[in-house]
Amino acid sequence: MFFNSLTFAVFLPIVFLLYWLVFSKTKSAQNAFLVVVSYYFYSCWDWRFLFLLLFSTLICYFTGIQIEKSERRKTRKFWFWLSIIANLGFLAIFKYYNFFAFSFSEALNNIGLQTSPLLLNVILPVGISFYTFHGLSYVIDIYYKRINSEKNVIDYALFVSYFPLLVAGPIERATHLLPQVKVKRTFDFEKAREGVYQIIWGLVKKVVIADTCATYANAIFDNYTSMNSLSLILGAVYFAFQIYGDFSGYSDMALGMSKLFGLDLLKNFNYPYFSRDIAEFWRRWHISLSSWFRDYLYIPLGGSRGSKLKQVRNVFIIFVVSGFWHGANWTFLAWGFINALYFLPSLLLGTNRNNMETAELHWDFNSIKVFFSMLATFSITCLAWIFFRANTIHIAFDYIGKIFNNGIFTSQFLSNQRYSSEFLLMVLAFVMVEWNSRFKIEPISGKYSGLKMALCILAIIALGTYSDYKEFIYFQF
Amino acid sequence: MNKFTILVAKILLTILLLLIVLDWTYTTVYLHSSNRGKVENVFNSTARNYDVVILGSSRANNHFVPQLFEEKGLKTFNYGMSGAHLFEASLLLKLMAERNYKIKTVILEADLGLCNEKESEAIAAKFLPYIHHSQTISEHFSGQSDFKELYYIPFYRYVDFDALIGFREMYNTATGKPTNILDNLGYHPLGHKRGNMKNDIRALKPIRNKYYEEIKQICKQNNYKLIAVMTPMCSNVKGLDYFEKSNKIYPEIHNLENVVQGDHYFSSCGHMNDEGARKFTAIVIDQFF
Repeated sequence: MFFNSLTFAVFLPIVFLLYWLVFSKTKSAQNAFLVVVSYYFYSCWDWRFLFLLLFSTLICYFTGIQIEKSERRKTRKFWFWLSIIANLGFLAIFKYYNFFAFSFSEALNNIGLQTSPLLLNVILPVGISFYTFHGLSYVIDIYYKRINSEKNVIDYALFVSYFPLLVAGPIERATHLLPQVKVKRTFDFEKAREGVYQIIWGLVKKVVIADTCATYANAIFDNYTSMNSLSLILGAVYFAFQIYGDFSGYSDMALGMSKLFGLDLLKNFNYPYFSRDIAEFWRRWHISLSSWFRDYLYIPLGGSRGSKLKQVRNVFIIFVVSGFWHGANWTFLAWGFINALYFLPSLLLGTNRNNMETAELHWDFNSIKVFFSMLATFSITCLAWIFFRANTIHIAFDYIGKIFNNGIFTSQFLSNQRYSSEFLLMVLAFVMVEWNSRFKIEPISGKYSGLKMALCILAIIALGTYSDYKEFIYFQF
Repeated sequence: MNKFTILVAKILLTILLLLIVLDWTYTTVYLHSSNRGKVENVFNSTARNYDVVILGSSRANNHFVPQLFEEKGLKTFNYGMSGAHLFEASLLLKLMAERNYKIKTVILEADLGLCNEKESEAIAAKFLPYIHHSQTISEHFSGQSDFKELYYIPFYRYVDFDALIGFREMYNTATGKPTNILDNLGYHPLGHKRGNMKNDIRALKPIRNKYYEEIKQICKQNNYKLIAVMTPMCSNVKGLDYFEKSNKIYPEIHNLENVVQGDHYFSSCGHMNDEGARKFTAIVIDQFF
């Protein structure tokens, strides 16, 4: 049940009406209802994985209580590691086993030992990376005594399985979401209206920008050997907007939906393509994941304390693991590694905490520097996205090589029956709208909100891509 | 909650109004166009006279050269459409009959299309802008599973087939952007591309096809002489007995599958190049005219 499907358009209003008109008497009723709805939502993908979700939820719930109850350090550690191993174990089996088995077998084949890998015939459960990380952060926070364990199993189950964030995030923290579910929510018109506007804007990003860019990116990447330099560059740009529109659009819809139910979720994107350096980019892109790795991996490793060598090591570990989180393929690892390389200069020069405020442009020379630094950051990000999108590292390098070797910059006719530069104007218009609303959550609220909303709906209806591309990219993670 | 209900009502009303306005706009554009494709060219036409009209899929579009018919004094147009099934060919012929086209002979490419009665979405979509302006079209689509949505929800068909009749196509139609679909009297010549020179059609099974039956009926009712033919394929085809099986069901279809031999006459296994098409057309003219 995709967020941009007609089925969901029927599902959401029914859930909304039942939530506020039937189940709003107590917070327990609200939470229980949302848990049932969330499990139903998840079952629409594949009912068999409900047991995995339930098991993951109960493991963390139970071990969380045991960790808190245990007075002896050894016992606490035992429950802690049991939870970690169980959760990461499922993730490892479903997501990474085949990758390691195949890679190990290939490595042996390369040194002359002929083997064939024993592969598992398993489907990757939708959202496993997300709800596993929810549970892990909860258990880790209890272990380090940052929070108390949740005794109410329904409240905890809602924290893990809450349907707007279940399949593609944002990765919530117990410290942020649990306190909200523990109180009865009352209907707030302003919040609900904000939520509606955010859903509409999320839909624009998804069906107008992301899905249309996808048709171009796919046409270029799938036929990259016959593309010229301009088309290959545009392919990377289109993919950059595809993944941004897709993921941030989904996050906007998730956040907007939650506002309808009186819950606030963590902001996940903060206009990342207006970043002036790569450090700023990673403060603005997939914020819930990067902050998760910062708090639960980077800081425990020592963070930015210790020697420079240690700091460099920590940075590389974070980015490579982050890349690996996205998928079991060497290309994701390469993408993470490249971003670590990008980050390295600012770490060594101590400039990684520059540009903390949102960029502004004025009619002065400094703004030229700001503009070009944004363009440069976007460009190197696009270069890294090539690895993210390509099927193999070899193809990624070949793709990049062709950009520099081909030397032809004319618009080509693509397999999606469009010219490669055709959608660029729309992308630029989107960038202008985002630039003008970079201090806001979405561009609709405020002055002329009615007109802006009508224009967004018009764009969704008339300019959305429906027949060619539908799936959210991050559902595969 | 009341204020929110009013907001939602306003949004739904906005959506409905936009759907209606957009539907009207797009349909108006398509009703005033005639030079971008064969479907609109026929739909927006009045009575025409032809000695020969060719119908079918790409194996008609790429195989029959109207110019050769014209040289024989036969006014001809190739209405074959790449990707079309007999569903679309039948509908196009119905529209011609409705517009009092005077056609002496209809040549129908009826080979691989006999195996299914499904619509070809890529071509069927081209008829959808006119669904409310043509009882013929709405009745033809009435048996499809999504007919109710296509017919009763404003603008739904333009969203569902946005790649084919959506904003881009509407814009190109409104601005009169030309295509080459109607060039060469509808014939589209293929070069010596030498694409995939093998095919496997063992999975295809010819059936008693209701749209082929419809075409026969239309021709009978309007006094169009119908010549149904099977056109050539390259030599490396598995399941070539398909053509014989088709002949068993419909003995009246002329099996011309092997009249052009030699892969140098083909652009890909299922499609002859211009040289092959001319040779084939000459054989057809010689045999039937």
